[in-house]
Amino acid sequence: MSRLSETLGFLRTPTFGRTVFILLSSAFSLLALTGLMSLWISGRINELNERVEHTFEVRAEVQGMVGALADAETYQRGHLLTGQLDAVRDYEAARREALERFERLERLVADNPEQQARLSELEPVLQLRFSILDRTLAAARAGRGDEAIRIIRGGEGLRAMERLRSDLALVDETEAELLGDRRALTRESDLLNLAVNLIGTALIFALGFASLWLLRRYLIELQNSRAEIAEINRGLEATVKERTADLIAANEEVQKFAYIVSHDLRAPLVNVTGYTSELATAAKALTRQMDTVKDKAPELLDADAVLAIEEDVPEALGFIRTSTEKMDRLINAILKLSREGRRTPQPQWLDMTELLRGIADSVQHQVSEAEGEIAVDRLPRLESDRLFIEQIFGNLVDNALKYRDPQRPPRISIRGRDEPGGWTVYEVEDNGRGVSEADRERVFELFRRAGKQDKPGEGLGLAFVRQSVRRLGGSIELDSELGKGSTFRLKFPKRLSAVTSEEDSR
Amino acid sequence: MTHPVTIVMVEDDHGHANLIEKNIRRANINNEIRHFADGSSALEYFESEEVRGNGPLLVLLDLNLPDMQGTDILARIKADERLRRAPVVVLTTTDDKVEIQRCYDLGCNVYITKPVDYEAFASAIRQLGLFLSVMQAPEI
Repeated sequence: MSRLSETLGFLRTPTFGRTVFILLSSAFSLLALTGLMSLWISGRINELNERVEHTFEVRAEVQGMVGALADAETYQRGHLLTGQLDAVRDYEAARREALERFERLERLVADNPEQQARLSELEPVLQLRFSILDRTLAAARAGRGDEAIRIIRGGEGLRAMERLRSDLALVDETEAELLGDRRALTRESDLLNLAVNLIGTALIFALGFASLWLLRRYLIELQNSRAEIAEINRGLEATVKERTADLIAANEEVQKFAYIVSHDLRAPLVNVTGYTSELATAAKALTRQMDTVKDKAPELLDADAVLAIEEDVPEALGFIRTSTEKMDRLINAILKLSREGRRTPQPQWLDMTELLRGIADSVQHQVSEAEGEIAVDRLPRLESDRLFIEQIFGNLVDNALKYRDPQRPPRISIRGRDEPGGWTVYEVEDNGRGVSEADRERVFELFRRAGKQDKPGEGLGLAFVRQSVRRLGGSIELDSELGKGSTFRLKFPKRLSAVTSEEDSR
Repeated sequence: MTHPVTIVMVEDDHGHANLIEKNIRRANINNEIRHFADGSSALEYFESEEVRGNGPLLVLLDLNLPDMQGTDILARIKADERLRRAPVVVLTTTDDKVEIQRCYDLGCNVYITKPVDYEAFASAIRQLGLFLSVMQAPEI
C-alpha cells in the first residue's frame, strides 16, 4: 500500500478528520487567494497612481509652456519698446524653455495618440509663432522698427498665439479629464481591495468557526464515548473481580474438602497398617509353631497350611504393605497440596526480574553441568504472594530441567509482559521433551504424569502449580510439541489485592 | 501411698484404641485404661463423682470425634478447677501446624501424631508408656 493510495482512501472516506482537513485547507486556499488578489489590486493601484502622476506632469508642462510663450511675447514687446538687449536675452531664454517643454510634452503624451496628434498639429504653429517673433526682433535690431510693428499688426502672430493657447488648453483639459477617470479608477480599486479582503476574511472566519464547531462537537462525542468506555470497563472489572473471587472461593472449598478427605482416610490407614503388622507378628508365631510341629510330628502337617503360612500369607502381607505405603504417600501429597493451598496469599509488590533470577541462580549449577542456558528477560513487576510465586516458578524451572531432552543442552527462557484489563503474563519456555497434545491437560491433574515414566515423582508438581496459580486469581496454559519443547503461559492479575479485597469484605 | 494413675482414652476408632492399648501394655504399663468412643460419654465421665474421688488421671485424646471436636473436650478439661491439672496427651492423625498450636494454646501437654507407619506408631506409643511409668501425675 503506497502512501498515495492511503491519502486517497482518507479523502474518499467521510470522516471527521477529512471534514476538518477539507475545511482548513479551503480556509488556507482562500487566504492565499485573498492575498494574491490584494497584491494584484495593489499593483493596479500603483500603476494608476503613476498615471495620475504622469497626468500632473503633463499639466505642469502645459502650464509652463503657456507661461513661457507669454513670457517670450512679453520680452519681445519689451525689446521692441525699449530696445534693450537684456530683453532679447530673456526672450531667447523663454523661447528655449517653451521649445524644451514642448519636446518633453511630446514625450510625455507618447502613450496617448489623441494628445499626440494634437501636439503634432501644434508643432508647425509653434514654429510659425517663434519665426514671427524672431522676424520682428530681427527687424527691430536692424533698425526697421516700423516693419516689426507691421508684422505684429499683420495679426498672424496673434492668431498663432491664440491657436497655441486654445490647443494647449485643450490638451490640459483632456489630461484633467483623464485625471478624473484615473482617480475614479483608483477609488474603485481601493474599494475592490477592501471588498476582497473583507469577504476573504469573513469566509476564513466562517471556515474557522465551522472547524472549531466540528472540533468541539467531535471532542464532546469523544468525551462521551470515553466516559462510556470507562463505564463499561468498570463493569467489566467488577465482573472479572467477582468471577475471580468466586473462583478463589470455589478453590478454597475444594481445598477444605481435600483436607478433610485426606484426614479421614488416614485413620483407617493407620488401622490397616497396624493390623497388618499385628498379622505379620501373628504369622511369625504360627510359623514358629509350624516349625516345631515339622520337627516333632511331621505327619500332622497339612500341605495347604504349610503353603498358606510360608507363601500366601507373606505374599498377601507384602502387597498390603506396598499398597498402604503408596496410599500413605498419596494421602500425604493431597494433604500437602491442600495445606499449601489453604495458606492465605499475602499480596506484596514483587520485583519479578530479581525473583526469577534468584530461581535461575539456584539451578545454575545443574544448567551449567548440562552446558545449557537459562535466560531471564526484564519482567514486569507483580503484586502477589511471594511464597506462592516462588514455588510456582521454582516448580516450572525444575520441571524444565528435569524433563529436558538428553539429546541437546537445555535452554530455558522466561519472558513477561503487561496485558490490558489488569493482567500480567509470564512465559516459561524450554526445549525439553515436550508433552503430547493428549496429555496437555492431564499433566496438571493430581498424580498424573505424562510421557516416559523414567524420572522419580508423584505427579504433584504441576497440580500444585495450577492450584497455586488459581489461588492467586490466575490461570496457566501449556503450549507444547512433543520432542520440541514446552511453553507454560501464566496469567496473573497485576494486583492481587484488587481482586481479593472484595472477597475479604464479604 | 498415692492412687495409681487412671488412663482415660477418648478415641472413636476402635481399631486405634485397640492398637494403642496393646502397645501400652507391651510397654509394661498396667494402669487402668478407660476407653470412651465419643465426646459426650467422655465428658459425662469427667463430670461424674467417680473421677472426683478417684485420684490422678491421664487423658489420651483424639481430635476427630463423631459428636464433637477433641479440642472442645480439651478446653473443657483445662477450664475445670480440678481436672485442669491432669496431663492431656493429644494423639491424633492431624499434623496440621495450626491445629497443633491450637492444642498447646488450650493447655495440652503433649501432642503426638499417629504415624501411618506401624513401626513408628508402635514405638511412639511404647515410648509414651515409658514416659507414663516414670511420670508423676498430680492428685486431683
